[in-house]
Amino acid sequence: MTAIYRLGIDAGGTFTDFILAERGKGVSLFKSPSTPEDGTQAIRAGLAQIADALGRPASEVVANADLCINGTTVALNALIERQGAKVGLLCTEGHEDSLEIRLGHKEDGYRYDPEYPPAHMLVPRYLRRPIGGRMLADGSERQPLDEEAIRDAVALFKREGVDAVAISFMWSVANTDHEQRALAIVRELMPDTFVCCGSEVYPQVREYTRTSTTVVNAYLSPVMQRYVSRIDALFEELGARQPVQYFQSNGGLALGKVMREKAVAAINSGPASAPQAGLYMAGPLGVDNVITVDMGGTSFDITLTRGGQTNYSKDVDFLRQRIGVPMIQVETLGAGGGSIAHLNEQGMLQVGPRSAGASPGPVCYGKGGREPTVTDANLVLGYLDPEAVLGGTVRLDREAAVAAIHERIAEPLGISVERAAFGICTLVNLNMVNGIRRVSVEQGYDPRDFTLIGAGGAAGMHLVRLAEEIGVRQVLVPKVASGLCAFGQIISNVQHERLTSLVLPLDDDPEHRVRVNRRLAELRDEGVAELKRDGFEDNAIACRYRFEIRYRGQIHECTVESERGEFDEAGWCELRDAFHARHEAVYSYCEPDSEVELVNLECSVIGEVEPPTMPTLEARGGELEAALLGRRDMLFDGEGKPVPTPVYDGEALDPRHEVTGPAVIQEATTNIVLPPGWKATLSSTASYVLSPIDG
Amino acid sequence: MTTVDPITLAVVRGALETAQREMTLTLEKTGRSSVFNLAHDYSNALFDAVPEMILQGQDIPIHLGSLIPAMKAVAGFYGEDIAPGDVVYHNDPAYKGSHIIDCCMYKPVFFEGELVFWTVCKGHLTDIGGPVPAGYNPDAKEIYAEGLRIPPVKLWEKGRRREDVINLLLTNMRAREHQEGDLNAQYGACGVGERHLLRLLERYGVDTVKAAIAELKAMADRQMRSLIAEVADGEYSGTAVLEDSGHGLGDLEITAHVKIEGDEVAIRIDSPPQVPYFINSYEGNSMSGVLLGLMMFAQLPPPYNEGLYRCLSVDMGPPGTLCNASEPAPHANCTTTPMETLTDAVRLAFEQAAPERVSASWGHASGINIAGFDPRHGNEQYVTMVLASIISGAGATRTMDGWHSRGPLCCFGALMSGDIELLETSYPILIHRYGLVTDSCGAGERRGGSGTWLEIEPLDHAMTAVAFGEGRQYATAGAGGARNALVEPKLGRLVHRHRDGSETVYDRNALLTIEPGERVINVNPGGGGFGDPWTRPPQEVAGDVRDGLVSRVGARQDYGVVVDDQLHLDESATRQLRQTR
Repeated sequence: MTAIYRLGIDAGGTFTDFILAERGKGVSLFKSPSTPEDGTQAIRAGLAQIADALGRPASEVVANADLCINGTTVALNALIERQGAKVGLLCTEGHEDSLEIRLGHKEDGYRYDPEYPPAHMLVPRYLRRPIGGRMLADGSERQPLDEEAIRDAVALFKREGVDAVAISFMWSVANTDHEQRALAIVRELMPDTFVCCGSEVYPQVREYTRTSTTVVNAYLSPVMQRYVSRIDALFEELGARQPVQYFQSNGGLALGKVMREKAVAAINSGPASAPQAGLYMAGPLGVDNVITVDMGGTSFDITLTRGGQTNYSKDVDFLRQRIGVPMIQVETLGAGGGSIAHLNEQGMLQVGPRSAGASPGPVCYGKGGREPTVTDANLVLGYLDPEAVLGGTVRLDREAAVAAIHERIAEPLGISVERAAFGICTLVNLNMVNGIRRVSVEQGYDPRDFTLIGAGGAAGMHLVRLAEEIGVRQVLVPKVASGLCAFGQIISNVQHERLTSLVLPLDDDPEHRVRVNRRLAELRDEGVAELKRDGFEDNAIACRYRFEIRYRGQIHECTVESERGEFDEAGWCELRDAFHARHEAVYSYCEPDSEVELVNLECSVIGEVEPPTMPTLEARGGELEAALLGRRDMLFDGEGKPVPTPVYDGEALDPRHEVTGPAVIQEATTNIVLPPGWKATLSSTASYVLSPIDG
Repeated sequence: MTTVDPITLAVVRGALETAQREMTLTLEKTGRSSVFNLAHDYSNALFDAVPEMILQGQDIPIHLGSLIPAMKAVAGFYGEDIAPGDVVYHNDPAYKGSHIIDCCMYKPVFFEGELVFWTVCKGHLTDIGGPVPAGYNPDAKEIYAEGLRIPPVKLWEKGRRREDVINLLLTNMRAREHQEGDLNAQYGACGVGERHLLRLLERYGVDTVKAAIAELKAMADRQMRSLIAEVADGEYSGTAVLEDSGHGLGDLEITAHVKIEGDEVAIRIDSPPQVPYFINSYEGNSMSGVLLGLMMFAQLPPPYNEGLYRCLSVDMGPPGTLCNASEPAPHANCTTTPMETLTDAVRLAFEQAAPERVSASWGHASGINIAGFDPRHGNEQYVTMVLASIISGAGATRTMDGWHSRGPLCCFGALMSGDIELLETSYPILIHRYGLVTDSCGAGERRGGSGTWLEIEPLDHAMTAVAFGEGRQYATAGAGGARNALVEPKLGRLVHRHRDGSETVYDRNALLTIEPGERVINVNPGGGGFGDPWTRPPQEVAGDVRDGLVSRVGARQDYGVVVDDQLHLDESATRQLRQTR
């Protein structure tokens, strides 16, 4: 029987979202409360909802699905809540403290703060064991490995109940012998314990980053192992055709057997599928430059994709742990509907990063919240319907919101409540705009070349303002905005990263070009072989490359991306020129006469998964007026003059209709505010396309 | 004058911070020397046309204070003779520079023909000429023997790069390519800052932006005044000892007198006459030390601008004294020594005035510069300060143990040590150890952070190591009744380990040649503790013993805590021991 479904399950902190694509029938969105102790419970509950809706048992849905895909925050939560494994670290003698020294720096913003604590150590000092043996930068062995010290350390680990071992030696990236030998000894003495080493987890120069990444991986992998076993078993029991695919922070899928060894690759997988979803939604408009923004209750996640390629970040602090492996670059801000507005010590209005969260929540929820939030401001401005939020199940208390903004913001500042509410929105928008600038302008990209795509329940009320501020002329809000990440997962590919360090001049010596071509071929061949073992055919495998390049003498690199995995003379020069251009775009200057040096090569090997077929939305007849639910007073500037604004029912709109601002479109799980001067239409992929009327 | 609404005010503040942060990022990512690209020994600030500092970055405190008088001196030097596209360079203490190895770039930002801002970037180059690589010449009796003085000079004039002037400067510096790369990085940083500021002006207009900045300065002023007003009026003083780090004149003292009157504060510094050794500080640099001491009291979160200091007046003492040096006093070491002693004196005076607000001192910098010829690259000359060598322990606060390896005091957590593999890539050295040091943490109910141990062997060549700083004779000052019984491991020291394993230990500065097979070891002190160490919870002491941060001897002597040979806390023995006092 042909597969008729594809199932995406995004297990977030609060809700687990389910996106079910049904051949020829489009996608449906389901939600169930997350169950962090045992993720299978939320999945069973969601499957029960799906079974109800379809009128057939869950096992039939699963058995008729070509793929079941799971994005999970299990690794993220374990890191946040410090629920990872008890890790022991074997490291080069003399360098057992690099994890704790953290390059000697105290984070900016806390310079004089007497109460800001040091970062939590995932491995306490007594479990960081010094091992004699030293490699040098050129890969030569300076001092042989002290195997006795490894055996002593393992004895300590056993006594202390260590349940994961990380190994990270100096210059293992240049010569893996000592790490491999240590790996073998630990495996022999602790056969049931998870163990990983730096040269396998993150084979790049930078000992601190590599060690930290390896430790984080050891800390999280046993947790991931337990999770993956349960999920795999559940789907096997339900008769799934293929093992479950898991979503990684690099935006690609991987099998459970990969994830259980490399949990660090899944650490921020939640928002990493947004770019795929964004590209899909924007595809019919011929757009491949997209910025996605996901605005929920407490956080705001931004990604940028240019020419279909998404920005990656590596070597960054994530929850105060340094992580090297490439991840989809997600700029996360403490800005959401629940962000609290307050006056700071200087009496200046500030919004966030503190959030009222789900409890007590915004003042207008009436659950005990006293501090005004962004949601309260949106309500005061009329953007939110007091009756229609969460499908009409919660009534919002506008008077309480007004009172809170009056008392805590408007009165102390000597301005009107409306102006204060507008100010709160303006400031949270500013925070979000600054975040968008960090991933765009500050990386050398002009946001005016991009389409802005909204995800999450709260984004629709802010998007147009963000677009105006950064100069974006086109905004998309998918009907499935509140489950966009789960949607992104079902259209994603399998993807593995291959990294290597290869330091050589990017000059006219053909020998250098040949060596790079050879190494790229090796990376590609390894990755392709692995995908073939997993059942991918040649024609479904693609590769993309990233080159880290610098001027000789610099120590940080600029990343240049390319489709090309083999260079002729002309292509080699183009690569060099692309580097100069990138350096100038980001840093305001370049040095065209200086020597250029290639440092790292990265290859993403991609097994293309055929996307589910989606029907296109068609006109059903019916006039625009039929979709009009009524009018509501709204404020579109700080002057406080209410505008009676039409409210439309999104379910009754179709692609023929054009809604002009001021207007609001209400969907079951999202709400789109269209200020004056903007218009909206529905695209064939069920997204609202917002653009300025004059443009 | 235009008034500015609270929303625009916040927007302008955010835009200034973004501009400054991007400048810092540019220096880190594009710099050539490890001092820039690994250690962050640079600082950025934005000034308005006055010129007053309108945003001070989260960078090195010891750079930032001196920028305030330096910017005024540079702008005063040129007067009206500043045009769009000009870029000025400067290091000279006669124009309020700190030490001459810190070179500063100033770019005027013009909007619609009007000078509105300056983007300013100060960075520690790895060489500035003179007889000793890296600029720290312990034998210098005059500033002329320390390197190249650069009074304000235009490197770009109306957009044209002055190759002749730049060539003149670079010709006088070792490792020229590094210096040129770092100079370009500074140019990039100033340009990136300018881009952001122009965008801000285009969006909001000059009048609104100026009004917002005036208000930001006024807010900072109000904030500092409110803190000062909480302190009882009176005159408070603190005296800190400056150890003899090599001049042979014995220990010296620096005293700070802090006079609080209403919401104003006047600080007067007493220091001995200047000495023929590189520890004299000219006025611009001393300003940094005073402001750091004030901020250790104020403990304010960012943003920082010159408004904070309107309530402050400073008298650095008569010209010709250690903290208000006159030409031709040698000064290369001044950013750490005597600056950290000066900061301590101010901190101690505030401890008298507001004991509840002041924390323990941080470890003072004692470090090394290294230089030689790199056999891996055709004996190309290399020279650098090894910033990892000066990372000391942070002081404990009333509520928290000091951070390990976050100092020194003068950098206050802004510096970076750099990745060991990257240091071994940049220089022909092998780093045998970079780690925390047992018993180096200042004892206290809250203990200080650990200092660091750096051990370097030159590979296949003889390496020069130039030591500077102090903190090798007196332990870092604690606060709130802290005291150390086991003092020796809490001190910094310099060790030359010879091929036969024997060691020469120095408790003052030295200029060493380290042959292949030998090692130089630089130990930096821990931070001071806070409160009586004998009241520290015994379980926490036992935890530190298990982690090797405190020895069993240290537990007993410093904390009155007995830990058995299995590293378990012996509660009854501890109770008994603690009753003996």
